[in-house]
Amino acid sequence: MKLLTHNLLSSHVRGVGPRGFPLRIQATEVRVSPVDFNPDFVTRMIPKMEWTALVEAAESLGHLSELPRELAEGYEKDEEFLRKVHHVLLEVEVVEGTLQCPESGRLFPISRGIPNMLLSDEEAAS
Amino acid sequence: MAALEPEERPPSSGEPLSPLQTGARYFCTVGRGLESFLTREVQARLAATEVEYISGKVFFTTNSGLTIMKQLKSAERLFLLLKRQSPLIISSGSKGKTLNEIQRLITGDPRCWIRAVSIWKSLLELEEKLPSGVSKPPKRKTEENENIITKKFKIEQTLMMPEDTECQLEKQKDDSIQEKKDLITEKEIFQEEKSKNDEEKEVEHHQDKLTFRVSCRCSGKVGKIFTTEEVGRVIGTTLIKEFGWKADLRNPSLEIFVHLNDTYSVVGIPIFRLPLASRAYIKVAGLRSTIAWTMASLAEINIGAVVLDPMCGLGTILLEAAKEWPNAYYLGADVSDSQLLGAYDNLKSASLMDRIELLKFSVTELPLLSESVDVIISDVPFGKKFKLGKDIKSILHEMERVLCVGGTIVLLLSENLHRYLQNYKESNIIWNSSKDNTNEFKFVQYVNAEEKNGIQENVSSLFQDHRQECLDKRPLFGTLVQMECHKVSLGRTEAFISKYKKIHASGLQQPF
Repeated sequence: MKLLTHNLLSSHVRGVGPRGFPLRIQATEVRVSPVDFNPDFVTRMIPKMEWTALVEAAESLGHLSELPRELAEGYEKDEEFLRKVHHVLLEVEVVEGTLQCPESGRLFPISRGIPNMLLSDEEAAS
Repeated sequence: MAALEPEERPPSSGEPLSPLQTGARYFCTVGRGLESFLTREVQARLAATEVEYISGKVFFTTNSGLTIMKQLKSAERLFLLLKRQSPLIISSGSKGKTLNEIQRLITGDPRCWIRAVSIWKSLLELEEKLPSGVSKPPKRKTEENENIITKKFKIEQTLMMPEDTECQLEKQKDDSIQEKKDLITEKEIFQEEKSKNDEEKEVEHHQDKLTFRVSCRCSGKVGKIFTTEEVGRVIGTTLIKEFGWKADLRNPSLEIFVHLNDTYSVVGIPIFRLPLASRAYIKVAGLRSTIAWTMASLAEINIGAVVLDPMCGLGTILLEAAKEWPNAYYLGADVSDSQLLGAYDNLKSASLMDRIELLKFSVTELPLLSESVDVIISDVPFGKKFKLGKDIKSILHEMERVLCVGGTIVLLLSENLHRYLQNYKESNIIWNSSKDNTNEFKFVQYVNAEEKNGIQENVSSLFQDHRQECLDKRPLFGTLVQMECHKVSLGRTEAFISKYKKIHASGLQQPF
C-alpha cells in the first residue's frame, strides 16, 4: 500500500462517518521502490491530498523526507519539492502491517501490500 | 501520426512500391457494437482514410507500418484486404454453378491476388528491416512465445482446407457467437514439430515458393449449400492451379481468409498470427481486452486522475487503462482473494505494479473518502455475486458518494441490469417532477405503458419498491447523469457499456 492510497482510505465501519479518517498505520515491513517521476502527475495529485494526513503518515513510517507541515504556495515550479512528494506518495510502500480506524479501533490487516478492508455483515449493515 | 522509421527509408531498386508510401487497404474484424470505436481508433492511431464499417468489420486505408497497427486495441484481427465484392450469385438448383462462382473469386481477377501477396510480403520485409530493439509482432512461426499465448484462446476453432478432420463445421454453423469465429488461430498447429520447419520455411519464403492455407467462414445461402470445408477445398485447388502455390495446412507462410455471406464476399490475408485482441502484456484475461480498452477510452482519464475499479477481478480493465493512459493512479478492489491473487500476478507480469494498487473490499461499502475518485470503471458481475434491486442501488450510491463532481463512471451492464436502471431512472423522474396527489395515477400509467412494451410483470413490483425508497431518500440518480450507452457483444451474451457523469445537484456541470 502506497501512501497515496492511504490518503484516500477512510474507515467505513458503521456509524464512524468522517471520523474514520485518517487510518493509523502500524507497519512491520516497509519497502521503498523507485517509480518514474512525472511532475505533472504529482502537481495534479497534490490538491487532492489531505496534506496533514500525508505528512503524518510519512512521519509515522520514518519517511517524512523533509516534507513541510504546511503546503507552500507556488509548489508547482519547485521540482525538488515535487520529487519529495513523489517519493512519499508513490515510492514508500507498506508491505506488511495494519491500518486502524481512529474512531472504532477496528484493525485492517495489510499483507503482501494489499489492505484488507472487507467488513463483516454486522459491521457494514447500515 | 503515421510517421514510422521504415517510411523514411527510400525503397531500394527493384522493390515493389511500399505499402507505407502509397498506403494499403486493410480490414479488421471487431466485436459487434465496437465498430464505431474501432473506426475512431484507426482514424486517430493510424491516420486511416476511407474508413467504413459493416457489422463485425471495419475497412480502412493507411500507410502505417505493422508496429503501429499492432497497437490497435478495439479490434480482434487485422487483415490485408485482398478482395471485397457483392455476394455470390447462388443458383438454387445447381451446386456446380455456385462452385464456378467461387472459383471466379480467383480466376476472375488473378492480378489482385498477386498484388495483395506482394504488398503483404513487402509489409513483412519492411518489418524485418526495423532496427533491433523494436519489438517485432509475432507474424511468423519463429516467434517463441506463441505456444503459450495461443493456448489462452481455447475457444477458438480453425477451419482449414481439405484433410482437416478437426474442422467443426456443424458446430460452427449453429454457433451464433460472432466473436468466437472472429478469432481464428491455429492452436493445434503450434503444439508440435515447430522449430524443425523453421529453417525450411525461411528458405521457401525467400525462394518465393508460397505455401498457403485457406480459412473459410460461410453463412447465409452459401452456408446452406456448402460446408466451409467444401468451399475451402475449391478455393485451395483453384489457387494451386492458378498460381502454383503449395498447400500446407500445418505451417503455411500465407493464410487466406474468406468470408462469404448474403451481403458480401470478403477475402483477406491475416497480418499477424495472433489476434490483436490477445495482448502480450495480459497473462490471464478476465474480461475481453477489447471491451476493457473501450470502456477505459470512454472514461476521460486525465493526467493525475484517480481511477477505481471496485470489482476488478483479474484486473483486465486496469491493465488496459494503465497501458494506454499511464499517468493516472489506479485502484483495483475485489472481495475474492483468488481474484486479487490473479490480478496481482497479472500486474506483476505486465510491470504495472507502480501505477496500480490492489485492495480487498466490497463495492457496497467503499472505504474511501467522499469525492476522492475521478473515474470509476467496472464490469458489474450480475447474476454471479449480486441480485437486482437492493444491491445495485447501494453500489451506485457508494459510487456516487466517492466520485468527484465532474467525475465519470463507465459500467459494463448485463441486459437485465441495463433495463432495470433505465426503468428506475425514469420512475425517479416521475417522482421528482410531480409533487401533488396525482403521483399514484402517473405512476400507474407509466407501468401500464411499460407493460405494453413487453416488460415483465415483476418490473412493476420493483417500481413499488422504488417508490418507497424515493419518497424518503434523495433520488439515486440525483447527481448521476447518463451520458452515453452502447450495446456490445460479449460473445455468448450482449451487454451495455453505460457512461455516467456526476453533476452538481443544481444541474450545473463542473469542468475538470
